[in-house]
Amino acid sequence: MNYRDMELNLRREAQSLLKSREVDTIIGFEAGSLKFTTTPLITSDEADVQRLVINPFIDNNLSVFLTETKHRVGIVVKGCDSRSLVSLMKDNKVNREDIVILGIPCLGTIDFGKIEKLVGKERDEVTDIIVADNIVKVTTNEECKECSVQEVLYDNCLGCELSVPQECDILLGEPVATPNDQAKSLKKIMELNNKTSEQRWHYWSNEFNRCIRCYACRNICPSCFCKRCFVEESEPQWLLPVPKWQDNLIFQVIRNIHLAGRCSDCGECERVCPAKIPLRNLSREMYNIVDRLFHYKAGINKDIPPLMTSYETTDDEDFVEL
Amino acid sequence: MVTITVKNKIQKRDLPKLLSEWSSEFTIYVPSQNGVTGWAQWNGKDTDFMDWYRNTNIPPKSIFLPLIEKLFSFHRDKDGYHIEIPPLDVERKLIFGIRPCDARALSLLDMNFCNACEDPYYLAKRKGAVLVGLTCTKPYDSCFCTSLGISPSDSSCVDLLLTDIGDDFLVEATTDKGRNLLNSNILSKAVKYDEIKAKAHKEEVYRQVTRQVNVDNIQDRLFRYFENEEYWSRLSQKCVSCGICTMLCPTCYCFDINDKIIKNNGERFRNWDSCAFPIYTKMPMENPRLEKWRRLRQKICHKYEFYPMTFGVIACTGCGRCIRLCPVKWDIALVINNLPNIVKYEHGK
Repeated sequence: MNYRDMELNLRREAQSLLKSREVDTIIGFEAGSLKFTTTPLITSDEADVQRLVINPFIDNNLSVFLTETKHRVGIVVKGCDSRSLVSLMKDNKVNREDIVILGIPCLGTIDFGKIEKLVGKERDEVTDIIVADNIVKVTTNEECKECSVQEVLYDNCLGCELSVPQECDILLGEPVATPNDQAKSLKKIMELNNKTSEQRWHYWSNEFNRCIRCYACRNICPSCFCKRCFVEESEPQWLLPVPKWQDNLIFQVIRNIHLAGRCSDCGECERVCPAKIPLRNLSREMYNIVDRLFHYKAGINKDIPPLMTSYETTDDEDFVEL
Repeated sequence: MVTITVKNKIQKRDLPKLLSEWSSEFTIYVPSQNGVTGWAQWNGKDTDFMDWYRNTNIPPKSIFLPLIEKLFSFHRDKDGYHIEIPPLDVERKLIFGIRPCDARALSLLDMNFCNACEDPYYLAKRKGAVLVGLTCTKPYDSCFCTSLGISPSDSSCVDLLLTDIGDDFLVEATTDKGRNLLNSNILSKAVKYDEIKAKAHKEEVYRQVTRQVNVDNIQDRLFRYFENEEYWSRLSQKCVSCGICTMLCPTCYCFDINDKIIKNNGERFRNWDSCAFPIYTKMPMENPRLEKWRRLRQKICHKYEFYPMTFGVIACTGCGRCIRLCPVKWDIALVINNLPNIVKYEHGK
């Protein structure tokens, strides 16, 4: 099944959900005003559903909007988004009865940064992109380049562990296999792990020097649902709101600890960072640690309690140093 | 007023020599690419930065209103508090390669930091600064400067304007500060043909800015829609209240003030803040804009309604950063365009 069929399916389903008053609002994607971009579409108007799209550029994890929407909502989710959604349900942030899940069997989202690298041009200088039969064809004014779709997917898509939303009311297409290339997905993290701690310290000092504390990483993250973030507390003040690199690093370290067992590796934090800080190197590493120590993956199994609210007497304690 | 424009040219390969000459008098800032495109001091050697032919993501306001700025340090002893104010940053800065839109943005910041209130930290850096502009070579598809009366080759807010004419740059000086930079034998006199080439280039890039924003009666249109909660709520739905659009806006200047205190010693900093944050202005009191739609409305109205009201000019230069870098691709141009165009009734007519 191709994107176009899924898109038409979605429009039909969304239309009937709104018409039957089964939901009050639809959250999906529409084409962005800049080419090769998409933007969230949040609407209660039946006429708007014709604008809904599904294509390889749908990047946002729309479940971030669930904690602020009222009434019943129909939401479009990819695999990783559905994991965030399940995680939110388990944290009592979202009521399953209030939501109709429109699931996309996801083939992965295209990382435009990789396309730009491939052709040495920026997004708006690309004239055409054709994705067919696992091949992506990128055209600019000067040339036309081809590569396999794998080459231009987000790193987190390559490490995807759930391409078809498990928790789903309406599946918009036929199930697909994950792009699965764990080695490539974790390449940057492995490289970092192979460095000495001094080298890593140097690496992160350089990366976090660029942080401007726009908090886009936190605000775009469905799992960062705190009404008031620890970084905004002033009594006591956990860390300075001044974007010095040491404080920026501590901010991300604490954020990642808070997200242990909640992060579904959707990759949004890294995607939106205007300073291009490789935040997934932290979040995915935490994801791996949680898996290794507790055999827990966020949002995969809705029937087991959230990681931080339960324990087994057989849990590993190796990390406790006496 | 008659503006005398002196026209010269310089071979591109001679650029390092010229920058070296200028660096005897100025600290030179050039576009940089350290993970993200921004501004940094020139390394005194190469001109690799010229390979980056597009505008930077971090605007040059970061040179005059840095992301973090120490205001003073203090310590406490038995006699009480003692404040030590660091010397003002009075080194003369030369900003090389600033785009016309960003140069205009600095002139808009001046209205706030020089005219409305005198900010010594900003003023010290800004006073002696010289802006060497560069005509855009490839505007982004998010650019809409021409709708705001700025052209990609606008020389009105720079001291010197460079325009790419192949192997050379045409160099036009529009101010005395700019003319003073031309006492160099590396420069040669531009001929008629150079000017023709520059004119063609300027016209071509002007055409490349295709995005249009309707700013007719904008103050009035916003004023009439100010109370329309339904309109603003709908628009703000997909906003995630991050600080990207404001912090990377070349005309936004909000800052927060914070102290770093260790035992009896402390430092006071100011750092970029954003009206999009729910905790904005929480420190002195409360944020009067608790709901997202109020905060988003503030951003738009400050630029397109309040600034014109106070200073007579729109505080947006159409650089498009807020669209291009937005995590949800929220588009200010669509919002402005979708505001109904209400006919303005002028009093006494």
